[in-house]
Amino acid sequence: MTEPHRAPILRLEGVTKRFPGVLALDAIDLDFSEGEMHALAGENGAGKSSLIRLLAGIHRPDAGRMTLAGQPYAPHAPLDAIRAGVRVVHQEFNLLPALSVAENLLFERLPRRRFGIVDRRAMDRRAEELLARVGLGDLSPRTPVERLGIAQKQLVEIARALSTEGRVLVLDEPTATLTPRETDRLFAQIRQLKAGGMTLIYVSHHLAEIFALCDRVTVLRNGRKVETLPTAETDPAALVRAMIGRTLAAQAPIGGRTLGRDGGDGHRDRREALRVAGLRPIGAPEGGGLDFAVRAGEIVGLAGLVGAGRSETVRAIFGADPRVSGTILRDGRPVRIRAPRDAIAAGICLLTENRKEEGLVLQMPARVNTTLARLGLVSRLGILDRAAERDATLRLAGELATKLSGPEQKVIELSGGNQQKIVLAKWLFGDGGGASAQVLMLDEPTRGIDVGAKAEIYALLGRLAEQGRAILVVSSELPELMHLCDRILVLSRGHLAGEVARADFSEERILSLAYSQYMQTD
Amino acid sequence: MPSSSSGVLVRRILREAGIGLALLVMVLFFAAVAPSFTTHENIANILTQITINLILATGMTFAILVGGIDLSVGAVMALCAVIAGTVLKQDSLSDPEAIGLGILASLLVGMACGGLNGFVSSFWGIPAFIVTLGMLNIARGGALEVTNARTIYDFPDPFNAFGTMSLLGVPVMFLLALALLGIGWLVLTRTVFGRMIYAIGNNEEAVRLSGHRPLVTKVLAFTVTGLFVGIAAIVYMTRLTIANPILGIGFELNAIAAVIIGGTSLSGGRGSLVGTLLGAAIIGVLANGLILMGVSDFFRQIVTGVVIILAVILDSYRARLSLRG
Repeated sequence: MTEPHRAPILRLEGVTKRFPGVLALDAIDLDFSEGEMHALAGENGAGKSSLIRLLAGIHRPDAGRMTLAGQPYAPHAPLDAIRAGVRVVHQEFNLLPALSVAENLLFERLPRRRFGIVDRRAMDRRAEELLARVGLGDLSPRTPVERLGIAQKQLVEIARALSTEGRVLVLDEPTATLTPRETDRLFAQIRQLKAGGMTLIYVSHHLAEIFALCDRVTVLRNGRKVETLPTAETDPAALVRAMIGRTLAAQAPIGGRTLGRDGGDGHRDRREALRVAGLRPIGAPEGGGLDFAVRAGEIVGLAGLVGAGRSETVRAIFGADPRVSGTILRDGRPVRIRAPRDAIAAGICLLTENRKEEGLVLQMPARVNTTLARLGLVSRLGILDRAAERDATLRLAGELATKLSGPEQKVIELSGGNQQKIVLAKWLFGDGGGASAQVLMLDEPTRGIDVGAKAEIYALLGRLAEQGRAILVVSSELPELMHLCDRILVLSRGHLAGEVARADFSEERILSLAYSQYMQTD
Repeated sequence: MPSSSSGVLVRRILREAGIGLALLVMVLFFAAVAPSFTTHENIANILTQITINLILATGMTFAILVGGIDLSVGAVMALCAVIAGTVLKQDSLSDPEAIGLGILASLLVGMACGGLNGFVSSFWGIPAFIVTLGMLNIARGGALEVTNARTIYDFPDPFNAFGTMSLLGVPVMFLLALALLGIGWLVLTRTVFGRMIYAIGNNEEAVRLSGHRPLVTKVLAFTVTGLFVGIAAIVYMTRLTIANPILGIGFELNAIAAVIIGGTSLSGGRGSLVGTLLGAAIIGVLANGLILMGVSDFFRQIVTGVVIILAVILDSYRARLSLRG
């Protein structure tokens, strides 16, 4: 590793951040040199976002220290970070939609006249300068932000970050929503900032961008720093290799079990429990859409980077969000799915990404959550049979090894793993397996769940598949998919980039497919 | 989880019985300072006085539990009353026919207004606060239009008689209100419809993603609120023996106050009709007791306001306690 040619402006020493059940950052040592452009690379969940949040003052480290230009840097709130000269352009916009572009740009320090009255002329003038710097010179500063397109909003965010004298500018996936022309304009602006002595920290999935713009790149993996290298001394393939390489706790893999038992080719002759043809979820790119199938007894993975369209795909199949086009076939017969109730009636279930917001009624008992999707089974003429509900809750808690004090325990009191088991219980209630067993789709089923509960859920999914269910798993953790699945479908920017059979599983293969649509600078 | 410590017990009592205790303290206080408070006549008086509010608050509980609110109940009650009154005065009908059709008209008008409130607010995602504020004006204007701002009176005797009936010294209209509350409680706690109301009030998206249609439940919940308004209109008419288009002004606020004092969360999903009963009783006892103490009408209103705010403060503590378990 070569020494940075200039003094570090921002230094992290042993920075550690813990979230419930997750070690997001594990003793990170990292130097950012003054005036350099430094990329952060890593898979989803590697710790990039956590690191940015610490720099932005949104979270505070649990251990370690940060120094900015030799002074201790410990922002308690985003305003502290801004005052110290560290600006962050987040992936999600933090703009106030009803206010004008000028008001948004200068929100932290509106130019004032006497009695605190806003000096609109001065504000507009200042805003025009800032807009010109990001190539939005022809945009009126009086335009309400809600009338802007996504790319314009992104540029306004960047202009806002430039409104204060900063020393460090963090850009989190700034080009994700930009067209090539806008991207070029942004790059020109970034180079100009860099020439002016600004230190830039750049997070992007676009490896081509990293190599085009950045001086050095730091690779994070699983909350740890893997290495920091000058971009001149590495290449995209080496970066991808550095980003992967975790090993899952020694456990017999789940995927391939039915495959092996049936003699290698077991799934081929099984019926297609689910097939989608020409599926284009909302926001999908132009083109023919997605075509794939999941057979009964099979666990299929859906891999891809954040924003590749994995959640959108399963949500569109489930009818949770509308789709642009596409046909869904269940056991070979087309089914009409316009809302989740249609999907459930057809035996297609979805365990959503956010169990707390979408999967559970947190304040209500386990009993209520277990029976929520099939109240018809525990009621007659609209009257609930509470005893039957309690029995079902206890039976499923037993089958899934859910730790419950009783059927009346509120779900909010349970751990993440047990909450997830309640969501699974909701979908398994009333589904006995066998010939008519359902299609179970799971979106990030082990997010925020501790290792032990993860292993239990893996084993459970294996059993459910053996009972004849068709299982489609979305996960950002490749080792998880490689452990669980019989085959993995890889999405890249909304396109099906390829399919990897169990025999060919390797993180490198999957990641290179996941990155395939990002490799070109287009 | 060890539950032996007295802290847990205190919390449980606060959580489950806070309002009941408050009512008990209030009753004991008034009994001590105002000797006439505990007389049979006065108690019957209180029960009569809280009847209408109890019926309206029972219906209101449905709208609030599902995450809405209904500001139009007072005005819709007037509309129900004048339409029922008009039917009752039809000379072509015999007394039983007129009474039957009058009651039916009131219930239907109430349900129609409630259902419309629910549909407009849920289908277009407009806050129920605003939709029902509109309905308040529509119904009040409608009632004035129907009657030309005149009072309708001289209803059949059997109809008016209901307002003064009593059974073993208890006003029958209060017993009716109590029976309706009991039915409402069964619906909320024992039926799929009640389950949906609570679940939607807590997390509508989770309910939708579990394969249900929240819109249907929400419209029905508001329809129930309207049904109770229609019932309250009839009961109120039998008590007043008249119907006029300006009755029920401000009744929505008392009904909401009873629900809130009863511990039902304004954001929906949490609360019960037992609480609503206690809330309505607290408002009634407070009003009656303060009058007996010779407190002025104006001051009484101030005290009621303070009690509402205290109840909500208490409720925010209850919410925090229940989170800690």
